[in-house]
Amino acid sequence: MERILDITLWVVLGLHLLMALIVVWRVWRGENSVARLMGLDLASTLTLAVLVIVAMLRQNSIYIDVAIALAALSYISTVAIAKFISDHKVF
Amino acid sequence: MRRVQIAIPLLLVYLALSGNVTLPNLVVGALVALGVSSLLPVGNGAAFSWKRLPRFLWALIRYFFVVVTDILEGGLSTARLVLDPKLPIHPGIIALPAGSRTELGAALSAHAISLSPGELVVEMDDEGTLFVHCLDVQQSAQYAEAAQRLRRRLLREMFE
Amino acid sequence: MTLIAQSIALFFLVAGTAFSLIGIFGFLRLPDVYTRLHASGKVSVFGVVFLLIAAILLTPLSAWKGLLLIFFVLLAAPSVSHALASAAYKTGIPMARVERDDLKGKLEKSGEEG
Repeated sequence: MERILDITLWVVLGLHLLMALIVVWRVWRGENSVARLMGLDLASTLTLAVLVIVAMLRQNSIYIDVAIALAALSYISTVAIAKFISDHKVF
Repeated sequence: MRRVQIAIPLLLVYLALSGNVTLPNLVVGALVALGVSSLLPVGNGAAFSWKRLPRFLWALIRYFFVVVTDILEGGLSTARLVLDPKLPIHPGIIALPAGSRTELGAALSAHAISLSPGELVVEMDDEGTLFVHCLDVQQSAQYAEAAQRLRRRLLREMFE
Repeated sequence: MTLIAQSIALFFLVAGTAFSLIGIFGFLRLPDVYTRLHASGKVSVFGVVFLLIAAILLTPLSAWKGLLLIFFVLLAAPSVSHALASAAYKTGIPMARVERDDLKGKLEKSGEEG
């Protein structure tokens, strides 16, 4: 069972990295600013998922702490940039 | 009293993050939570009362299950739409009455609508009408209002 | 006991990854910003939450942190989608294949807010 779990974790990690690569390519070739911002938010979400997978692979919960900090930061920054795009001021 | 009401969830978050419930940690957490809550603005929500706690918790649990089933249903139907080779989407924006008088209730019902995939709140006007973007206009216009009525009833039980 | 926990974790791992893949596929396939937001919201809600449930079952000492992060993700994902949709509507990005628009012309009347 451990072996199956280990292989699955590595496959899932690879798939998430591939998805992050696709999203970064979409950000590079985005058609407008909101689409690019959406791609960046999706990339940070996928980074969050990769951190959770690494926490499972290493059996170490310190990566979950890093994921909490990343979630808070990416949420604040995405909302602030979206507000800046729509109103041309942050607050 | 309002400050303590804000400080208790902050203390719980502190304990969850630090991960050990010993007496020194509890004292430090309580001090930090009180310090942070003195910096926050005090809202004008309903005051806490022990008498309403069981009803509040029961409504909260039912609301949680309603939202979870909504998320699962919406997620599966959106997945089916995306994987369909013909891509049968009929996008559009429809107006929905939020109907909740308190600010917190309106915010929570907007949150529940956006959380179920397939529907997404774009804008909200002063009268509390929500403008919802949906992937399938006809279907959402049929079902969204009934689902909204159920959620609104539970929210009213919780906060009014 | 651990075998049951591991099997459930395996199921959640596979299901979360499948939903993430569907979300990215929709992100590439759907025609405009608003419809893509539905797909990308699904990635964060389903993908990350399912992976976190698996992590709670597999990793020692992380249950409370995992539950906190699930709560935070469920709280943050809709407001991020709403902020992006509102920004897109205010900058006037057109909707593809639109059938009905109740909001049209109402934004100028209510003025700048939020």
